[in-house]
Amino acid sequence: MTTAELIYQSIASLANPTELAWIEDKSAADAKGLALAFVMVPRKVSKTPIQKDLGLLAGWNWQHGTVDQLVRVYFLIQLADKQEGKSQIETLFDTAEMNELVALYRALPVLSKPESWLHRATDAVRSNMGPVFDAIAFGNPYPTTFFSELAWNQLVLKCIFNDKPIHLIEGLDERANQALAETLADFAQERWSAGRRVPSQVWRLIREFDTKTKKQDLERLAASPDPNDRKAAQLVLNNSPLEAWKELEIEEKAY
Amino acid sequence: MCQNPNEHSLNPSHFEGSTEEKQTAQEVEGGFAAYTQGMKFFDPHVHMTSRTTDDYQALADAGVVAIIEPAFWLGQPRTGLASFKDYFASLVGWERFRSSQFGIKHYCTIGLNSREANNEALAEEVMDILPLFLQKEGVVGVGEIGFDDQTAAEEKYYRAQLELAKEMNLPVQVHTPHRDKKKGTERSMAIALEHGLAPHMVVIDHNNEETVKSVLDQGFYAAFTIYPFTKMGNERMVEIVKQYGSERIMVNSAADWGISDPLAIPKTAALMKIKGISEADIQKVTYQNALDSFAQSGQINEADFIHGLEIDQSLKFNGNTVLRGGQAPRVDKNSIFIR
Repeated sequence: MTTAELIYQSIASLANPTELAWIEDKSAADAKGLALAFVMVPRKVSKTPIQKDLGLLAGWNWQHGTVDQLVRVYFLIQLADKQEGKSQIETLFDTAEMNELVALYRALPVLSKPESWLHRATDAVRSNMGPVFDAIAFGNPYPTTFFSELAWNQLVLKCIFNDKPIHLIEGLDERANQALAETLADFAQERWSAGRRVPSQVWRLIREFDTKTKKQDLERLAASPDPNDRKAAQLVLNNSPLEAWKELEIEEKAY
Repeated sequence: MCQNPNEHSLNPSHFEGSTEEKQTAQEVEGGFAAYTQGMKFFDPHVHMTSRTTDDYQALADAGVVAIIEPAFWLGQPRTGLASFKDYFASLVGWERFRSSQFGIKHYCTIGLNSREANNEALAEEVMDILPLFLQKEGVVGVGEIGFDDQTAAEEKYYRAQLELAKEMNLPVQVHTPHRDKKKGTERSMAIALEHGLAPHMVVIDHNNEETVKSVLDQGFYAAFTIYPFTKMGNERMVEIVKQYGSERIMVNSAADWGISDPLAIPKTAALMKIKGISEADIQKVTYQNALDSFAQSGQINEADFIHGLEIDQSLKFNGNTVLRGGQAPRVDKNSIFIR
C-alpha cells in the first residue's frame, strides 16, 4: 500500500461519514482545487485529537496530531503528484496561516521528492512561531533524513536555546557530532556566565566527544546543587547506555 | 483633564453629561480598572501590527479576550503584490501567534483598503489573491473596505469586494470616510444594499452622532471608534448608548500607528458604568454585538477564549505549549532588574 492509501485508511477510521464524503469529493479535484481544499479543511473536518500512533512511517509521530492535520497531509500528497503541484504548494507556504504551516511541515517526509523541500524545512527552524518550529523539529523524521550537519546542529541548538525538550527530536543521538558538542560546550559556558543553565539532558550530546572544556564542565556539573546536573555528569563519566538518560527527558527551566 | 472646555471642543458633543457625572469621571481618571472588574471585552477593530507587546499586555490585563484585526493601510503605500501578500499572511500567521502569547484570541478581516484601491494596476492583482485568504481559518470577514476620497476606483473595488463577501457568505467591515462622512456613509450603505447584502451581515464603522440613526434604521450594525481627536470620544459614546440603547451597537479602538488608545473599550465600559448604563447594555456594546456580528462567518467559537485562551490541541506537543506552564510570559514592569 502507498503512504497515501495508508493515510486514507487512518482517516477513514477517524472521520465521520460527512467528512469522509467531502474528502473523497475533493480528492478528485485538480491541483488548484486540491490547494483550496487544503485551506478549507478546518471548515469541513473536526480537530479531534488522534492520540495514538498511526504507524504510518518510522519516526513520524501522530500521537499529538489532529484529524484535520492528517487530512491536510493527505491532500498535499496528492497535490505533490500533480503537474502544477509544486508551484501550488509553494503558494500555500507563502500564504499560510499558522495551522496550515504546521500541516505543511508535518507533510514534508511523505511528499514525492522530499529533498526538494529542504529550503522550506530550514525556514521552519528559523520560525519564531512555536508550533511551526515544533512541526519540523518534533516527531518528524524529515530533519534527521535530509538536513546537513550544519542545519541539523542549528535545529538542536535553537531547540535548546528556546528551552524546548530535545528528546522529542527524531534521530537526536544518532546524529550527535563533534561540532555540535563543541558548540554546546560554548553555549553552556555563556549560560553559566549569565547565571542561567542548560537542561541536564543536553549533556547526552557531548558524551562521546572530546571538547576542550569537557573535564571542567563535568566537574562543575558534578558539584552542582541541581541533582539532575549531578546525574548527567555521572551518566557521561560512566559512559552509561542511552536508556539511562530517560529519566532526564523532562522539560527544565533554564533559570 | 479631558473636561477642560478648550480640549473638550476637540470632541464636540451634541450630548453633555451632568456636572456630577463630569466630576466623578474626573476623579476616577487613571483608575478605570476598578469599574471593569470581571468584565470581558471583544475589540472588533484594532491594528496590532502597529502596536507593541506592552499594548498586548495591557489589553490582557484590562480583560480584552478577543480581537479582530482588519487589513488596512500601513501608512506607507505598498508598491507591489508581494508586500500585500506578506501583510495578509502576517495577519493570519505571525500576528495571530504573537497575540496568543498574551492569551488573546486574534481574528482578522481581509480586504483591499480604500486608499490603496486608487492604485488600480496593483488593486487588480490584490483582488486575485483575496479569495485564497478569505477562505482561511479565523478570517471573519471582508474588511476594512469602503470609501476614503470617494473616487471611482474606490467604488469599483468596494463593489467587487462586496460581491466576494456575498459569494463567500462573510460579514463586511465598512470603513467610512473622515471627510464628507455623512454622504460617504449613506453611499456605502446604498451600494451594499444594491449588491443584495443583508444589512445584518454589514458592520458600518466609525459612526458618529450624525450617522448612527440612519445606520440603525436600515438594519446595519453600527460600530463606533473611540479614538482621540479625529473620531469619537467616549463621553459622547455614553450619550449615544443612552439615546439609542445597545441593539446592534458596538465600540472599538481602531488603535493603529496614530495617536490612539488600545484600551478604549475597557475605558469606555468604565465610563458607562459610572454614568449608570446597565451592565447588560455595557456587555452588549463592548463584547456581545461584536461577537454576534462576526460569528456569522462561522469562524468564531466563543469557547476558545471566554474562559481564557484555551490552547488548541494542535498547538501542543507532548504537553508543551507556546505559553510555558500555561502562562503568558510576563515581565514585571515595576522591577528595576531585567533578567
